[in-house]
Amino acid sequence: MISNVISLMIAIPLIGAIISFFAGSKAKFVALIASLIPLVLSLQMYLEFDKNSKIMQFVESYNWVPTLGIKYTLGVDGIGFPLLFLSAIVSVLVIIYSWGETKKPGQYFALLLLNEVGVMGVFTALDFFLFYIFWEVVLIPMFFLIGNWGGPRKDYAAIKFFIYTHVASLVMLLAIFALYFTYQMPDGTRTFDMLTLLAATADKTIFPTSLLNIIFAGLLLGFLVKMPAFPFHTWLPDAHVEAPTAGSVVLAALLLKMGGYGLFRVILPILPHVDKAFVTVIAVIAVLSIVYGAFLALAQKDIKKLVAYSSVSHMGFVTLGAVAFTWMSIQGAMFQQFSHGIITCVLFMSAGTIQHVVGTRIIADLGGLADRMPKFAVLMMAGFMASLGLPGMSGFVAEFMVLTGSFATLPTYTIIVVFLSVATTAAYHLWAMQKAMFGPILRKYMDVHDPHSYELFSMAMIIVLTLIFGIQPGLITDMMGAAATQVMEPVMTLSQMGVI
Amino acid sequence: MDFSHYAPLYAEALLTFLAVLIVLLGSIMKNSAKLVGILSAAGIVAALAMVSSNLMVSKPLLFFFDTISVDGLSQFFKAVFLVVSLLVVIASISRYSGKGADEYFALLLFATVGMMVVSSSVDLVTLFVGFELASLSTYALAAFDKSKKNLEAAMKYFIFGSVASSFMLFGFSLLYGMAGSTRLADIAAASLANFGPATLVALIFVIVGFAFKMALVPFHMWAPDTYEGAPPLVSALLAAGSKKMGFAAAFRVIMVALIALRLEWYLAFAILAALTMTLGNLAACWQNNVRRILAYSSIAQAGYIAIGFVVVGAAYGAAPIAAFNGFYPPAQLGIAGALLLILGHALMKTGAFIGTAQVASKVSSGSDSDPDDISNYAGLAKRAPITAFCMLIFMFALAGIPPTAGYIGKFVLFSSAIYSGLVWLAMLAILNSALSLVYYLRIISYMYLKDAAGPKIEEQKGYVVALVLTLLAVVWIGVFPEAFINWALQAAAVLLPQ
Repeated sequence: MISNVISLMIAIPLIGAIISFFAGSKAKFVALIASLIPLVLSLQMYLEFDKNSKIMQFVESYNWVPTLGIKYTLGVDGIGFPLLFLSAIVSVLVIIYSWGETKKPGQYFALLLLNEVGVMGVFTALDFFLFYIFWEVVLIPMFFLIGNWGGPRKDYAAIKFFIYTHVASLVMLLAIFALYFTYQMPDGTRTFDMLTLLAATADKTIFPTSLLNIIFAGLLLGFLVKMPAFPFHTWLPDAHVEAPTAGSVVLAALLLKMGGYGLFRVILPILPHVDKAFVTVIAVIAVLSIVYGAFLALAQKDIKKLVAYSSVSHMGFVTLGAVAFTWMSIQGAMFQQFSHGIITCVLFMSAGTIQHVVGTRIIADLGGLADRMPKFAVLMMAGFMASLGLPGMSGFVAEFMVLTGSFATLPTYTIIVVFLSVATTAAYHLWAMQKAMFGPILRKYMDVHDPHSYELFSMAMIIVLTLIFGIQPGLITDMMGAAATQVMEPVMTLSQMGVI
Repeated sequence: MDFSHYAPLYAEALLTFLAVLIVLLGSIMKNSAKLVGILSAAGIVAALAMVSSNLMVSKPLLFFFDTISVDGLSQFFKAVFLVVSLLVVIASISRYSGKGADEYFALLLFATVGMMVVSSSVDLVTLFVGFELASLSTYALAAFDKSKKNLEAAMKYFIFGSVASSFMLFGFSLLYGMAGSTRLADIAAASLANFGPATLVALIFVIVGFAFKMALVPFHMWAPDTYEGAPPLVSALLAAGSKKMGFAAAFRVIMVALIALRLEWYLAFAILAALTMTLGNLAACWQNNVRRILAYSSIAQAGYIAIGFVVVGAAYGAAPIAAFNGFYPPAQLGIAGALLLILGHALMKTGAFIGTAQVASKVSSGSDSDPDDISNYAGLAKRAPITAFCMLIFMFALAGIPPTAGYIGKFVLFSSAIYSGLVWLAMLAILNSALSLVYYLRIISYMYLKDAAGPKIEEQKGYVVALVLTLLAVVWIGVFPEAFINWALQAAAVLLPQ
């Protein structure tokens, strides 16, 4: 294996972004190559990844700001690698889907690549300083994607997205400072190393519960806003509705996963050491996100807004599985992250395709499109089925694991409430599908036709992946099993692992 | 005679000599503009090289009967001032190419020398002389283009500046009366020995005097009008250089000479910092003139920098150095954070004002429309791509988005507030930092998200060079902060007991 493979995976899209910025109409080729290389590298990593190992793999660590104990440390384990893999897949597909973009293509593809740089950094950084930089850098390309290629209220949506999530990140940063200044290494220096700091939170003499509670709340806020969980989800619909399709796809498939990743990487190792009331609070937030998100989706007129709220609902399963804290539920929650990441792509792509083929996304104005767009209708239907949890597709496996796993630790009535919301989920998916795609075709849509082949191709690829991971979830969940075990045990630092 | 003893002060000597030479050249040569511009730039580069040759002075070197000290802190500030002047001079070469250029560059050099003297002064009289040299030069510079707006700006600046100076001088006289000496070390000893109401009155006067210069709310009223009305490149010098001179002086006088009163000024600066950043940011949200936005943003940044004082007040001597077990005490980290933000802000603000100069240079001067109005920035990304891109990075840097110099400064400074237990202040600072995004993103959205509002702007060479250099510095500090953090920590150590 190439050494420093993760750095390479981050550097190539960055270089690609700079080139495609100046490449004008050729940018799409640059972008495709610059996103395919990380995909190939991640496939090779997948083959070499030791699925049963609980230690960090592919670690690279260099001193960056030794004065303050800041290191450039990257590495992946069963938590980070599936998401790194997801980022590589989604970035390629989203670039293929956007093949026909003609408005400032150079900048457009550069921003998509920059997004990939940011999320890959977040999923692999093992130093809080580095983690925070990537965490913030992600905002910039998304701001411009929404602001430049967005809908009518793009300026408002872009600024709201930026400020809302930035505030939460800053609160998280303060909590990181508190971690940093409370823990001093045996030799007197301080460190921003994530695993070392997280391992130290188990020590009650260093982190008394009262202090740890505050730190925990700050970190939690940062991640829940990004997820987004009820009641911090209000930035999401605005951002999604105004964002261009590719922006929405990246936002839902990758950016939201940053919040979930934070739960597994940072929140769960601290959770056993803080006030038990937090478990209840997070569980309530999770259930409310699932149920309320589903009901909000049911009430939407705009198909894209419906998909946006369905994300809130589906991401609730991630929170629920995480906080239930059983081996199976954590694994299920991690798999839900991956699974929702691919399924949501096809939903947003469907909404985007309907918008540009038909000219509207209002469900009530649509009807009978399947008649004229048969290939598209099949793919969209498959995507919606995957999203509502049809057995045989990955969404079902993930949600099934979360619910089964949560049964052991959470009160039975919470599980019953969630089960009931599954009916709502089915209802809004089927209703939207039925209204928009089936039934007699409206006269004004007589001359619509299937979208471009590149759009169909990306959607089809995702459906294939959904099926593969639905029938053979072990391809991904195997590595999550080790990660779930690791999350539930005390955190091992890199030096304890023997990797540095 | 052997002057080699004075080698650490050659930079000041060189610039003074050069300024006089430029005035002479201007009076004997006809078309000296280009020459004096290049001469000034070369002189500043040489001075910068001299200053950086002893950047890390391990032990303070004292000169002129212990009134001038060359130490880590003075070298830090001198480097900041010289870099700002250099950038302003480079940009000015395209702007001031006609008659009067010699006076402009000479005044600029004199102002720089004044700031450098202030940063080295450990005596109230030297400090005041340096302060006035810099102030008088900048009063003249603020009116340099002689438009009506310039005159108003300069007048306001002059009146407020003089009032501030008199406050300061009155405070100094009380300190002298109390201590019987104008040396900061003597005053520190005297105020520790006999602390009385007179010291407190002196403290109030000194704080008010410095607060005017640093533009802390409620002593900030002159700043928006002056930064808006002065020639844009002079605004850069004022916001990035002359304002930082206020901090250089305040660091020494307040943290060294008046450390006995730290509980008193701790409270004063806590209130000033909280007010300044909050009101500065709130006011900036409502402005439509880009230079006014930048002025209020620079007020808000002064509020952040003032957190350094609060941290020192809260944490100074609270625990012996040994208690930190080899790590830096909060006071040192706090001052270092303030210094890093001063460095970062000096660069970002110079760059941003040069950007406004570039935009304003092409808006017809005859028309009534305000050349700095935000509507002139619509679609700047298409009309002046390099300027717009640099402005974009400066805006993100000012907002504290990583990886930039602004982020590093805020990172160290705000973390030191947490370190010293000032959670409320850190909380307020980050909320302010988020609030500031409202107006920074507004400028960005005009430049990048709106359609072009006018013809292409021909980007002038001098401006572009200055902008790109600033951009590189801002990003460099953000990506490789180690050397700068170390440097700031060493400079900060000068103010703390060894």
